[in-house]
Amino acid sequence: MTERVERWPGVELSASDLVEGKVTSTRFRPNAKYAWSAGEAMSRFLAELQEGRLVARTCDGCERILFPPRMFCELCFRPTDAWTYVRDTGTIETFSISYLDKDARRIAEPILVGVVSLDGASPRMGLMHYFGGMTKDEIRIGMRVKAVWRPPEERRGSVLDISYFRPLREAER
Amino acid sequence: MTFLDRTTDARRFRHWEGHMEADYIYTSGLAGERFFVALRDEGRLLAARCASCDLAYLPPRLFCERCFAELTEYVPVPPTGKVAAATVAHVDRAGRPLAAPEVWAFVTFPGIHGGLVHRLLVDPGRARPGTPVRPRVRPRAARTGTIADLEGFEPVA
Repeated sequence: MTERVERWPGVELSASDLVEGKVTSTRFRPNAKYAWSAGEAMSRFLAELQEGRLVARTCDGCERILFPPRMFCELCFRPTDAWTYVRDTGTIETFSISYLDKDARRIAEPILVGVVSLDGASPRMGLMHYFGGMTKDEIRIGMRVKAVWRPPEERRGSVLDISYFRPLREAER
Repeated sequence: MTFLDRTTDARRFRHWEGHMEADYIYTSGLAGERFFVALRDEGRLLAARCASCDLAYLPPRLFCERCFAELTEYVPVPPTGKVAAATVAHVDRAGRPLAAPEVWAFVTFPGIHGGLVHRLLVDPGRARPGTPVRPRVRPRAARTGTIADLEGFEPVA
């Protein structure tokens, strides 16, 4: 259909027609301010990260420990009940050997990313993070790992207050 | 707090503030272009005329609203119009109080369909429908091809 159209109706304007003022126009900048909130549970989660702790919420209905914390239980459809802490050790649930960096640029040395389920939380509750101190040939599902925290003065209340997860040493078991 | 309570202030929690860059440039269109160029370059108001319907539109339109014909004829708007409706504004477009109240009016012209909303250059106490008015155009050097090239409408002395 479209190949039979030789010329579309309407008036084509180029950017220079507007910039050079060849046509009349009105400029407008809406005052579109916003404040995006992490919410009650994630705000405390991020604040606790800065203190070097991992906080979770308990649900008395299903008796789970929800991590990352949330204020309602998606299984029981009721508010969660209390704050509790989980440990900074865990198990690799899944991982990826990525030859793309976080901006999707190709890299020669792969980065290791994946999901860690944390000790003290309910099964398969954890977070996605980087892995370090291991090679792409050593990483495997089920591997025991521990968080490597940034120094307190470098923490920003971000999930990157943990640098990465490294293999758990024999003495730490 | 339970999950049935609603948080309406994001700033109560960890939050990030931002400003959406949604700038835009709105062009006048074909008929609007004729209108604003005539206002800017010649300091006069144009209406688009449909000969078969004997209707002249202000602001000019590209098509006749009655017969849908394309309009190519432009006629000057009569020099004197009339205040059809007037209001006194005490707040600006963002709702902030104005230092001094502003008078705004919808002005119509004899034989012209439509009209223009603009400032009425009188004291707030003298804003009256029916007042004969004429456009006050800014000096040529100050005109940029927008509706602000008109300072407003002033009573015909």
